[in-house]
Amino acid sequence: MRSLVLHNMWAHKRRALAAGVAVVIGIAFLTATLLLGNAMTRGIDDLFSEGYSGTDVEVRSTDVIASGERDIAATIDESLVAELAAIDGVAAAIPVVEGTAQIVGADGEPIGGNGPPTIGTNWVGMDRNPYVLLDGRPPVGAGEVVIDSGTADAGDLRVGDRTTVRVPAPIDVTVVGVAELRSGEQMGGVTFTWFDTDTAQDLLLGDADALYAVDLQAEPGVGDEELRAAIESSLPSDLEALTRQELIDEEMAAIEADFLGFFTTFLLAFAGVALLVATFSIHNTFAIVVAQRTRETALLRALGASRGQVLAGVGAEALVIGAVAATVGLGAGVGLAIGLNAILTALGAGVPTAGLGMTIGVAVLALAVGVVVTLVAAIAPALRASKVAPIAALRESAIDESGSSTVRAALGTAVTAAGIAGLVFSTDIGSSPLQIAALGGLAVFVGLILLGPVVARVAAAVIGTPIAAVRGQNGVLARRNAMRNPKRTSGTASALMIGTAVVALFASLGTSIKASLGDLVDESFGGDLVISPEGFSGAGLSPAMAADIAEVPGVDAVARLSFAAMLVDGRNDEPLATDFEQLAAVAELDVIEGDLASIGDGGFAIGRDYADDHGLALGDELTAEFLDGSTETLTVGAIFVNDDLMGDNLVDDAVWERHTSTPEDLIVMVDIDDGASLTDVRAEVQTVVDRYGSPSLQDSDEYLEAQGEQIDQMLGLVYGLLALAVVIALVGIANTLSLSIHERTREIGLLRAVGQTRSAVRSTVRWESVIIAVFGTVGGLALGTTICWGLIRAIAATEGFGTFAPSTTTLVVVLAVAIVAGVVAALRPAARAARLDVLDAISTD
Amino acid sequence: MDTHHSAALLDPPGAPTRPAAARVRGAVKRYGRGDTAVTALDHVDLDIPAGRFTAVMGPSGSGKSTLMHCLAGLDTLTAGQVVLGDVDLGSLNDRDLTRVRRERIGFVFQSFNLVPTLTARENIVLPSSLAGRKPDADWFDQVVATVGLGDRLRHRPAELSGGQQQRVAVARALVSRPEVVFADEPTGNLDSRSGTEILEFMAAAVRDIGQTIVMVTHDPAAAAYADSVVFLADGRIVDAIDDPTADTVLDRMKRIGD
Repeated sequence: MRSLVLHNMWAHKRRALAAGVAVVIGIAFLTATLLLGNAMTRGIDDLFSEGYSGTDVEVRSTDVIASGERDIAATIDESLVAELAAIDGVAAAIPVVEGTAQIVGADGEPIGGNGPPTIGTNWVGMDRNPYVLLDGRPPVGAGEVVIDSGTADAGDLRVGDRTTVRVPAPIDVTVVGVAELRSGEQMGGVTFTWFDTDTAQDLLLGDADALYAVDLQAEPGVGDEELRAAIESSLPSDLEALTRQELIDEEMAAIEADFLGFFTTFLLAFAGVALLVATFSIHNTFAIVVAQRTRETALLRALGASRGQVLAGVGAEALVIGAVAATVGLGAGVGLAIGLNAILTALGAGVPTAGLGMTIGVAVLALAVGVVVTLVAAIAPALRASKVAPIAALRESAIDESGSSTVRAALGTAVTAAGIAGLVFSTDIGSSPLQIAALGGLAVFVGLILLGPVVARVAAAVIGTPIAAVRGQNGVLARRNAMRNPKRTSGTASALMIGTAVVALFASLGTSIKASLGDLVDESFGGDLVISPEGFSGAGLSPAMAADIAEVPGVDAVARLSFAAMLVDGRNDEPLATDFEQLAAVAELDVIEGDLASIGDGGFAIGRDYADDHGLALGDELTAEFLDGSTETLTVGAIFVNDDLMGDNLVDDAVWERHTSTPEDLIVMVDIDDGASLTDVRAEVQTVVDRYGSPSLQDSDEYLEAQGEQIDQMLGLVYGLLALAVVIALVGIANTLSLSIHERTREIGLLRAVGQTRSAVRSTVRWESVIIAVFGTVGGLALGTTICWGLIRAIAATEGFGTFAPSTTTLVVVLAVAIVAGVVAALRPAARAARLDVLDAISTD
Repeated sequence: MDTHHSAALLDPPGAPTRPAAARVRGAVKRYGRGDTAVTALDHVDLDIPAGRFTAVMGPSGSGKSTLMHCLAGLDTLTAGQVVLGDVDLGSLNDRDLTRVRRERIGFVFQSFNLVPTLTARENIVLPSSLAGRKPDADWFDQVVATVGLGDRLRHRPAELSGGQQQRVAVARALVSRPEVVFADEPTGNLDSRSGTEILEFMAAAVRDIGQTIVMVTHDPAAAAYADSVVFLADGRIVDAIDDPTADTVLDRMKRIGD
């Protein structure tokens, strides 16, 4: 039996190869993901280790409030440096200042800020400084900075250049030095601006006596833990001491949760979809091979092979294909990882990869997944093979043209109906419509896979009708061929369906989110201009800018929002601070109780749902706690309905400004006087904005468009997914067609004998391929769009906003791509069919 | 219609006759249901004598292939009994039936009778290797020599002529020393010279080593190589003759056709 398996596979190399290609692609992605993830984790860990090489123990405040994208920590007093330095075991105590400072490049554009932080900190002259000056000297006094070499390159800045640093107020500075880590590694995308300690305290903390932390270096022979134990007793209760390893672990956990987690999840999703599509491709190939080998299998059964032996034979074939393909995929994955890293590096997001070395764990996992996926895909065909009756060896070979069972039809219909019910009624059942809608979507997906063979004949007939009408006899034959074996047609189409469903889902989610944002802005925003920082992780807007804009003639109101790091009644609901009177002019919050304009100092405005959730009413008093250790009483002055654009809890900015020394605005919204020219006022506002380091000034349409661009970038990645899924599905279609043509050799010979030309043979195969491709694509697009509709509905029910807007452009493009893919997939099989020698074809046994 | 011959094939109680390698009692095989039902075998009783070469003849649709399939455990009866040696095939599950086919039955088919990806040698030993056994080397050599395949063992079926392929198939059927070899139109796809060779091999196997062979054929010349011929028509045994010649067989066939 073993030799039979190997002989069979060798005899059908091409077939085995085609089945394996799908696994190779999937495993390559899986391997690349795991390798890149591992390498990045190691690389980043190395970076942090080096970055903290001058620190044995860090002392900092335990008071931290998450606000926006950042954790805001309370500052500590500078006097602690001397106290700590005096403790036995401490060799040095170094003051650390840290904040946000975004430097502007030679071209006037701010550098970085699109994800990695833009760090402003103080330069410390010490032996163990992990950074060394490549050029220039340390900064002294206000107006001097040292920047890291990566930032210098990105902004084309050199020692001696004058530029601006946004902290967030624009500060004129001279670059006096360029530094980098001793190892020469770059902190992918992170920018560093060093000031001297006094300047950093002033600019970044707004307090000449405050520090972010104190870093301690141990006396020789004193371990990190030992050092911590030595100082811990003399620390006030609101301070904590962390060892170097703890600091590294903390940074790693944060980056793991943020960037790395997203990156690997995304690539794993690629690999998952690829493997899912691969499973269908392999399943289909095996199903066809088993069907074609029916007589051979029956012969074996007649000669005494047991069912188990037949089952094991097909299983062994799957095992060998899976193992070989997974091994090749593993190798290809290493190449892919190197390629992906090169692309990332070129994009400036290159993360130090401590060598993309293969580990036993990755190899074992990738091989296991490859083999398991192939085996799972082959189970059903193998079982079918084992059920071949020995008597089948004596019958004329019949091509399986059977339709599908009523059980399948019933089950498929039931599952699909349940799924649709879940999508339609998600908002009526239970408390978590999104989960119900997601489950419903999954059920519809499974149901459609089940129903595929049931509807394939009719679907192929419908899709084929126009082709038959236009392409004449070739079209008619193509249509019949696509209809004759519904199981095979639907199996082949399923692979394409999955890929296109994912794309349709995400594309439609993207356009729906854009549409929802548009509706939201239309509904809640009544202003004319919006000023916002370019990136989302750079410096914010200088509060002084809003004041200057208010002076521009023709400006009616300037409302600003900023993150207010505070706890309200002990909760952190990330409130935004604003000037209510101004806000009332630009936002339509639909206030149902109280009045925004008259809230005043100490006021708090909340959304209706927020009020309901926390049992609050107009006039209720709440306690606010701040990082400076003080508290204030807030009074609910307004309750409003539209809580999606500006959030559901707003605090008067006079309150917030009393408790922060580094105020910065998140966004500034401008309303102009009725009758004033938007163009003129905008030009005036632009000159003001330019003085503050050129954040972006947009009208509400432009602002929406810019928000949409981020979604479009995400969609770009999804199209990468489409490409991958299409390639795998393409291989599947080509494989199915080759096998079908092999099966129909006699028939094609007959057609050729009675006068069908070679090009007509090609045309017939090509159109059959297109019918299959269109079937899978239309199914996938319908599936993806339907699931999106259900999800958006559920979101609308829970979040209060959500507009379903299917991405028609994408749907049309995907369908066009599928048709082209169908034609491409048919190229080789069609050529082979056309090459068949007429006499050979007829006389073949 | 002359039916006493078929009665003569039945074992009269206590008669000193050859032991039966296989017995069929009251065999009925019906396909389909209701109005469209077709009765392929209609209460057939038959003994296959051991160590003899029995030919089963009949016109198309007479049920001769169905009879052989049921005898060989490839198909099941609607009613009645097939006993191979001492085993009632109807009482066996798939696993046991598979074992019976593997260990006690050999097949020669009309066409597509070899696994195309295996060499001649591998095809011949296939039933043994399916059973996880090594074939008896001496016996293998003897069978291969008998069918004259010595220099062709490393070839694939596609590299062999039709006659050579069928010789491989006969060797495969013989090498596992089955109790009965069933041959379904073994010469149907062969030219007359190759066909004659195959029939001579089969006759020799019966004569020299006492192999029991049942052959379905519609060719009187082929049937003439058998020790006895059973005639089927419309699912019933209608005649039987011993020591046939091509002429006597043709003569009976004509009478059945009338």
